[in-house]
Amino acid sequence: MVKTQLLVVGGGPAGLCGAIEASRRGVETLIVDEGVELGGQLVKQTHKFFGHEGFYASVRGFEIAKRLKDQLNEHVKIMLQTTVTGIYEDVVVLYDRQNDVPLEVQADYILLATGASERFIQFENNHLPGVYGAGAVQTLMNQFMVLPGRRFLMVGSGNIGLIVSYQLLQAGAEVAAIVEIADRIGGYDVHLRKIKRFGIPVLLRHTIKKALGQEKVSGAIVVQVDENFQPIEGTEKEFAVDAICIATGLVPSVELAAMANVKIEYVPELGGFVPYRDQNMRTNVENIFIAGDLAGIEEATTAMIEGRIAGLTIAQSITKANLSREIESLQRELIEFRSGPFSEKVRRGLAKFFPQRVVEYSREPQVDSGPVGKLRPIIECYENIPCNPCQTSCPTGAIVVGGNINSLPKIDYEKCTGCGICVSKCPGLAIFMVQENVEPGFDLVIVPYEMLPVPEEGERVIALDRDGKQVCEAQVIRIVRFPHKTNLVHLKVPAGYATRVRNFRVKKQENVFVCKCEEVTLEDIEKAIDLGFTDYEELRRYLRIGMGMCGGRTCRSLVLSILSRKLGKSPEELLKGHFRPPVMPTKFESILRGESNED
Amino acid sequence: MKTEYRIIIVGAGIVGCSIAYHLAKFGESDVLVLEKNYISSGSTGRCAGGIRQQWSSPHNVLLAMRSVKLFERMREETGFDIEYRQGGYLVLSYDEQEAAQFEENVKMQKNLGLNVELLTPNQVKQRFEYVNVEKVLLATFCPTDGHANPHLANFAYAFAARKLGVTILTHTEVLAIEPTGSKFKVHTSRGRFEAKIVVNAAGAYAGQVGSMVNVNLPLESYRHQILVTEPIRNFFDPMLISFSGNFYIRQTKHGHFIMGQGDKDERPGLNYNVTFKFEKDLAKKMCWLLPFLRTLRVVRHWSGHYNMSPDAQPIIGESPELANFYYAVGFSGHGFMLAPAVGEALAEKVLFGETKHVSIAELNVDRFERSTVRETNVV
Amino acid sequence: MSRIFEHPILMRRSARTVRFYFEGKELEAVEGETVAAALIANGIDVFGETERGKPRGFFCAIGKCSSCLMIVDGEPNVRVCITPVKEGMKVQRQFGRSGVPW
Repeated sequence: MVKTQLLVVGGGPAGLCGAIEASRRGVETLIVDEGVELGGQLVKQTHKFFGHEGFYASVRGFEIAKRLKDQLNEHVKIMLQTTVTGIYEDVVVLYDRQNDVPLEVQADYILLATGASERFIQFENNHLPGVYGAGAVQTLMNQFMVLPGRRFLMVGSGNIGLIVSYQLLQAGAEVAAIVEIADRIGGYDVHLRKIKRFGIPVLLRHTIKKALGQEKVSGAIVVQVDENFQPIEGTEKEFAVDAICIATGLVPSVELAAMANVKIEYVPELGGFVPYRDQNMRTNVENIFIAGDLAGIEEATTAMIEGRIAGLTIAQSITKANLSREIESLQRELIEFRSGPFSEKVRRGLAKFFPQRVVEYSREPQVDSGPVGKLRPIIECYENIPCNPCQTSCPTGAIVVGGNINSLPKIDYEKCTGCGICVSKCPGLAIFMVQENVEPGFDLVIVPYEMLPVPEEGERVIALDRDGKQVCEAQVIRIVRFPHKTNLVHLKVPAGYATRVRNFRVKKQENVFVCKCEEVTLEDIEKAIDLGFTDYEELRRYLRIGMGMCGGRTCRSLVLSILSRKLGKSPEELLKGHFRPPVMPTKFESILRGESNED
Repeated sequence: MKTEYRIIIVGAGIVGCSIAYHLAKFGESDVLVLEKNYISSGSTGRCAGGIRQQWSSPHNVLLAMRSVKLFERMREETGFDIEYRQGGYLVLSYDEQEAAQFEENVKMQKNLGLNVELLTPNQVKQRFEYVNVEKVLLATFCPTDGHANPHLANFAYAFAARKLGVTILTHTEVLAIEPTGSKFKVHTSRGRFEAKIVVNAAGAYAGQVGSMVNVNLPLESYRHQILVTEPIRNFFDPMLISFSGNFYIRQTKHGHFIMGQGDKDERPGLNYNVTFKFEKDLAKKMCWLLPFLRTLRVVRHWSGHYNMSPDAQPIIGESPELANFYYAVGFSGHGFMLAPAVGEALAEKVLFGETKHVSIAELNVDRFERSTVRETNVV
Repeated sequence: MSRIFEHPILMRRSARTVRFYFEGKELEAVEGETVAAALIANGIDVFGETERGKPRGFFCAIGKCSSCLMIVDGEPNVRVCITPVKEGMKVQRQFGRSGVPW
């Protein structure tokens, strides 16, 4: 039997924050987590968080997990790969999977931060391997660096669907499309824009009808739905994908709370069945608290605030110290974070437990796009989400979000020095720098870039607009790299394109074969020419172009045109290379047969 | 464009490029290589890529042994993977007199430090089960012999030389060479160049280049044909060859079988055509020797030249008649395999007045005024 | 399906490998990863069959959904998505319910 003052079930953002606040005040705390490491879903979040600096805005999720772990002190014990299997009348039972042994615990207080599980949806063949939860794909891809597919269909356009789509691109996979059954995008506008800049189609009022494949997924059939979300016959579209990613929401993991006699209520706005709690995260059972997604599906930032409130309240009960000032301050944070339009649904849900307040904020977007010809940021942030790193990172105070974090940023171009820090800090990658006429006939656009391959300075790339459409060629003139890995790529674009170009694609294409017999690619040939090879015959001898079974009939003219282009010589100036028999490969025995006929 | 160099080399085959590379390696990069076509366009780019140390003449053995040392280091030195593989040379004899000579050769080769052994037909069959040993009297095998990709080896020297500062001009044909006492004026299709020293490494065209300065080199070029099959999985390690049987064959890294034979009726002269007779003759001979070949397809057939000297040994050195005119010519079908050692030796001779690794003193043209013994290990 | 070797944000944490066996075949895994991750990295996405013979793979990857049950070192019904792979581990597909254990 183990005794502890506080048992924290779940070592994600909510549980860790609860443990940090309680242990900081001397509460003996035991954190139990099922996974192989602490951090919960944070360890697989590679995007930069929104919010403000106090809650790690502009820091990537997996980095936040590290910072939280670092704040745990000597009052904290940790058990990993351990599942709480029951909150019984007499004890709490932990099952230590590594040692295959149960452990009985008596805790004065319990903070349940068990999170959520993926919401499964119904469609034909949804049992097939290749139908994966979005979180599962994130776990494999970002925690273990294994890609479970090459080409994905994303079902659901909430923040998880949008973020995971973006992360799939970062990991080198393709996203065929995102389908959303509703008539509007579920996630943040800035997440949507990140995806659209790569040309990923988003199909509203569409859902998945069927997964194709016998043993595993080989495709998906998607269908349009009517106002009542019913499939419309004849609107089916087929996608050739090898994985289907389900991002249709999360379901709070209420099992332990229910076993502990916590009242469970049905609040669809919070994700379905959720435990009752008050503003201090205390349930109807005196010594049981909840926090994070278990208390209602929301963002990691609010989970961290809830965890802190719970940890402080528990510490207050145990130590009898007055922590009301800290608790109230965090409650005000929560109100502010939930004041935006995006939290409207959550507010409606929470109103079933206690009255909700909102604070006012400015909805006016920036209209002025600044003095033409000056190097300056353009902020494309049009949705009231709680976020302000642009303001706090600006060294000259030129960007103001204002008193309420949900307000839209405003920029004073007189104060702006064009340093570009805001571009690298913006978690939504929604700020760009432009300057018209940097040289005659050319504009400059600076875009944040978090993909591979990183182009080289001087390289010519294909410039894309906000919808991922090709608009012109651009030249990379500079790349500013940051430790947080959001690189700023300076693109020189033709005059007039500064208002349109918001992304780019490197031209380097793999698998562009020139000689299929010997598997020689365009890149191989261009590299060889750059090395100093100048003749078709030299290239043939060096790369084996044309030495395959076809005798060069497919590749010779292609190679000559590449040579002509790269060397700036007309095709007439180039030697065409030798033509050698036999034109059709001939078997020795066939040759011999002819010989014996002659005899 | 720079027109004055200390040394001009005529020919960017592997011999010319090896000389240029070694000159630069020893510190002399004021070198211009002139090539009328493109790099490896002549005999180098047309040969089978064998690397053999089993010769009847001691000069050739020593040059070849030194070459093997240099081939072994080539990837490291130049950064090019030249597909070098030491799978051995298996030499089959079908002739009693030749077989007797092989026993003498092996003694001489062993005295020079070469690891080589005599094999009975049965021993051949045991080690190389796919070879038909019918009519074979005797064989010799040297495990450190082998082969490499001649194109890549040629490019390796060319690009390594360029990296060290050598200039190689392709599509620049030498039209005339004018000795003026202190230097040479070299007239080309791309203008005039000047150099203190000229090196003739013109392969099949070496006789013509010699006659531009009235240096008579007793050379004749003969066409040799060669063909390659479709690729199969690699299993065939050695180069298989016979002088009395008149053939050679090997499997390349990419799985192709490359093979050829000589033609005693071939007339001297430059001829890049090919004959169907060659395919028929070779098909008959090789399918008998290696029956598994029957179902393989011939994919390419071409020709190149052996630049023959009277004793089938190369002519290397400085002209006794014309100072500062050097040559490395008359390789008689073996320029590729000897090029590393010859390039090194000639560079040493040019820069230091003497060679440091292997002697070429006996290989100058004046040997024909004395008596010389013909190299017999030639296909 | 495949390992990610180059990533714009993330670094690989371990390059040390362990060997394990899937249906008797020796495979390579990266130390510290789960059996599910190791199988997917080796191109194996069908982890077994349901009682009614339907193919089954992982779904949630965090030990919640039981879609990934396999036989590990002779023990059936192991959630391989939260089981770290170990040197010499023997992993087999599970077909429906486990067999009688005697």
